[in-house]
Amino acid sequence: MIDNGLLVQMLLGALLGLSVYLPLAAGQLSLATPAFYAIGGTLAALLSTRWALLGGGADGSLPLPSLLLELLLAALLTGVLAALVGGLVLRLRGIYLAIATIALVEIVRVAILNLPFTGGAVGIFGIPQPFADASGYLLPVLGLLILAGWLCQRLEALPLGQAMAAVRDDELAAECLGIDTTQVKLSAFVLSAVLAGSTGVLAAHFLNTWNARQGTFDVSVATLAFVILGGSRTWLGPVFGGMLLTALPELLRPVGDARLVLFGLVILLGPVLAPQGLITPALLERLGSLGRGAGR
Amino acid sequence: MMESLLQTLLNGAATGGVYALVALGYTLIFSVLGVINFAQGALFSLGGYATYLLMGGRIGVNGAWPGLGLPVALPFTLALLVAALVTALASLLVERLAFAPLRRRGAEPLQSLITSLGAGVVLVNLLQILMGAEGYAFPAGAEALAGLPDMLILAGARIRTIQVLLLAICAGAVVLLSLWLERSRSGKALRAVAEDFTTARLLGIDSDAMVRLAFALSGVLAGLGGGLVGLSVSLTGPYFGISYGLKGLAVLVLGGLGSVPGAIAGGLLMGLAEALVPADASGWREALAFAILFAVLLLRPGGLLGRIQPDKV
Repeated sequence: MIDNGLLVQMLLGALLGLSVYLPLAAGQLSLATPAFYAIGGTLAALLSTRWALLGGGADGSLPLPSLLLELLLAALLTGVLAALVGGLVLRLRGIYLAIATIALVEIVRVAILNLPFTGGAVGIFGIPQPFADASGYLLPVLGLLILAGWLCQRLEALPLGQAMAAVRDDELAAECLGIDTTQVKLSAFVLSAVLAGSTGVLAAHFLNTWNARQGTFDVSVATLAFVILGGSRTWLGPVFGGMLLTALPELLRPVGDARLVLFGLVILLGPVLAPQGLITPALLERLGSLGRGAGR
Repeated sequence: MMESLLQTLLNGAATGGVYALVALGYTLIFSVLGVINFAQGALFSLGGYATYLLMGGRIGVNGAWPGLGLPVALPFTLALLVAALVTALASLLVERLAFAPLRRRGAEPLQSLITSLGAGVVLVNLLQILMGAEGYAFPAGAEALAGLPDMLILAGARIRTIQVLLLAICAGAVVLLSLWLERSRSGKALRAVAEDFTTARLLGIDSDAMVRLAFALSGVLAGLGGGLVGLSVSLTGPYFGISYGLKGLAVLVLGGLGSVPGAIAGGLLMGLAEALVPADASGWREALAFAILFAVLLLRPGGLLGRIQPDKV
């Protein structure tokens, strides 16, 4: 029922969920994930189809080191861009970030649609493949997810992660404690952008074509739904939400047309019915003690 | 040349008037609750489609029930007013589902950004399922407005009557709203709630009723805007309101969050700026509003006529 292709898509969904989760863990609603995802994907599509140095073969193959180089460049580009945008917006109240990130998504979408080298509405196709089939993508996508998950887990013990939690719980109090709240919010925003950009690189190769529709307002809504369903109190929440909500419309074909209604309902009702999402720290603790009980 | 410039400016002002309506819808709710209602754009779409159906328009081939329509065919003005009533009710429903439960629980204001976005997404996609993604032109004869000619001659320029009418209705709505806020008892009560929610309640003002009033009014503005755009430009698919809603956000930041004159001035400026984009760069026009938004954040974060309010402890 779940083939390798769908599994890769689910893992990509989990990565995008984590990208929305990171600013939210610092109490910031950012809808910019699709913008950075689109930038990463466009960069990968452009470089691998136009830049001979990367060694994109006539048979449509791509050497693995080139993929890594793309990941590095995309991370750099999206990180710098996020630092610039975030520096502009994050000193203001939270509402400005939500508005400005929606604006960013629109600007990037229009740019990809209108720039002379991004292929217009059709986009860029025939993107070289570093792997022979879908199962080849499992390894790098899973690798990136494990890396991101490990980072999120580590964050909880690091000063930055603790500062993020403090800003989320009470920004004014955190500031009074001497935390540079703007810097903390900015760090979370940049991490989120780098993750989205890297995910875009992998997605562009996996999907084989790339155009402006990959990063739209609808994707903002979908990725936000991942986090609201799964929960933003632990990084496992958005991973679960991203995988489930990516798989669901594929598995339940009739839902196909109504998938945005489903996502909309999740973010309309989620904060009211389950403010912490489905995967909460309390749930994980209970599961943990169950596991220990069974092991004994 | 003069003629075309005048036409361009009037087109820009007409679009700007609609932006001002959208931004005012946001402003009403922002000034009372301090949050943005992200469902405003979807209500705008609903206004357009409701007007279309009330005028006797039928559902197209990609809709859920092709060929079906309402058993009425109202004249445009009446249809617009009924549609505004429909969007006012829908806006109250949005308040009930997306805002009221969170307010009662004393949740973070950020949460209602999320829930209202959800309400908007559900609404616009239900419209898409019902009406299909196709575009609709208003029924024939809609342009024959109360015996007015299609075109007016103004200073030698031929101008579409609907553009003038659109600007007049926007201006009328704005003036009425401002007068009501300034002069009437309930308008003053609304401003008192906007100033301080708790104190207003202590003074015997029913704050919750005022919140509902703000939502109903902003729903009316969305309905008027959607219907007018539908008549002057046609409905280009259920997402057309979202696009106006997003640009309304840029207008809001340009004018200054929470400022009524700022929303009006920002809307007109934005409409004019878009109209002046040369035709060979028209693909970029959609991004202009958001580029202006970033410029404002960089140069004057409080907006043209607003001020940044420090958070209260």
